[in-house]
Amino acid sequence: MSLVRFTVAVAGMCSVALPPIADAQSNVFDEDYVVPRTLYGDPDLQGFWSNAVLTPLERPEDLADKATLTEEEAREYAARRREATNRDRRTDDSDADVANAYNDFWWDSGENVVRTRRTSLIVDPPNGRLPALTPAGRERVASRRLPAVPAGPEDLGLTARCIHFAAAGPPMLPSQYNNNYQLVQTEDHVLIVNEMVHETRIIPLDGRAPLPDEIRLWLGSSRGHWDGDTLVVETTHRNDETSIRGSGKNMRLTERFTRVADDVLLYEFTVDDPENFTQPWTAQIPSVRADGIMYEYACHEGNRGLANILAGARAAERGE
Amino acid sequence: MPPGSRRPMVENMKGKLPMRYGTHVALLAAVLFVMPAARAHHAFSAEFDADQPIRLRGTVVKVEFINPHSWIHIEVTGEDGAKEVWQFEGGTPNTLFRRGISDRTLPLGAEVIVEGYRSRDGSLRASGRDITFPDGRKLFLSGSAPPGEGRQE
Repeated sequence: MSLVRFTVAVAGMCSVALPPIADAQSNVFDEDYVVPRTLYGDPDLQGFWSNAVLTPLERPEDLADKATLTEEEAREYAARRREATNRDRRTDDSDADVANAYNDFWWDSGENVVRTRRTSLIVDPPNGRLPALTPAGRERVASRRLPAVPAGPEDLGLTARCIHFAAAGPPMLPSQYNNNYQLVQTEDHVLIVNEMVHETRIIPLDGRAPLPDEIRLWLGSSRGHWDGDTLVVETTHRNDETSIRGSGKNMRLTERFTRVADDVLLYEFTVDDPENFTQPWTAQIPSVRADGIMYEYACHEGNRGLANILAGARAAERGE
Repeated sequence: MPPGSRRPMVENMKGKLPMRYGTHVALLAAVLFVMPAARAHHAFSAEFDADQPIRLRGTVVKVEFINPHSWIHIEVTGEDGAKEVWQFEGGTPNTLFRRGISDRTLPLGAEVIVEGYRSRDGSLRASGRDITFPDGRKLFLSGSAPPGEGRQE
């Protein structure tokens, strides 16, 4: 299916409005690309994919009027981003130095901007920025702030405790490392393993009923279906512990996976959460074919940092 | 620092970094603005003390490529001949594996110089901000992938 037809089909069938595919995109990907098929006749989306990109989620303020970059601008912008995020650069600000942790070799934040050359991953709202939080959403964000000095592990974030990494999703977002995921298909299920903290999702495609409302899960409950050549995954039933930039437990997440080239799986998602956001928002990441294999990220097994942070807090209390 | 602990071989760099706040705050703000949304596994400022920059020279005695952070242990000999083993926290090994680094890359006994920040609890742990060989070569060279030749476009 061509991207144009794909756009028309999705726009006509989705309850959540999907912004039109970027103009720039049709120049980037071959509209006549024919998606390979699995043994079951479904579009073949399988393999290892990478979301390591320099493009930020939100459009930088200095690019407020620019949704996409030319090829030359994209090269310059990528160079600026690489310089700005270069952890080898030292200043005499020791606080910044500590925050940078270790030199750049340990990081894998990507080396280029997204292939569509968009200036933000967010494609809707059209300004490329997150929509405003509702009053209830602002209150919720404020109530979730962690104490400056942790009394115990519960006062540390989910990531520091190796419980949940927002980057692993859903929705999956670029991070500074472990930006890889593997997608496996069967006739009636899709499996997605994210290298970041090994989040694994098993997504039924058989049209089964949703979970009872009282059952709430860390990653939510996902149901998938095919919409033409696009895999659509709807996720609900989150618990109240996780948040995507202010979202809450009743967020409805719609993800779309479309193979647009042999080496590109276009990943799009829409966060619909009227309790917390004043409008839905949609982001788009052209995931790029990655070299396998996936590596283990058994976060909890070696999480000495957690104990060290608490030991540091206790030492500070003793005045050491 | 715990009673009885000693720091004779630590070259404390405090005072060599006179400007903790000032014009660089603006620069930092600019850097943070363009940083990717997600940060490291934990805030390094919660674990390590910006007021205790250290520089240590020693030999590698143990390398742990473990998650979520790797740890490199070096034995440091003080002027009085006493030996201490310090641990330095690095990043996730996954990125290194993809770049062809393995636990055989850093041989035991190699002499290295580590610059970082000491842990807030005063133990013999620090962040491994920069690790270099005595001739100045970096242990893990950054920016090895030429621009434009990465797998991401």
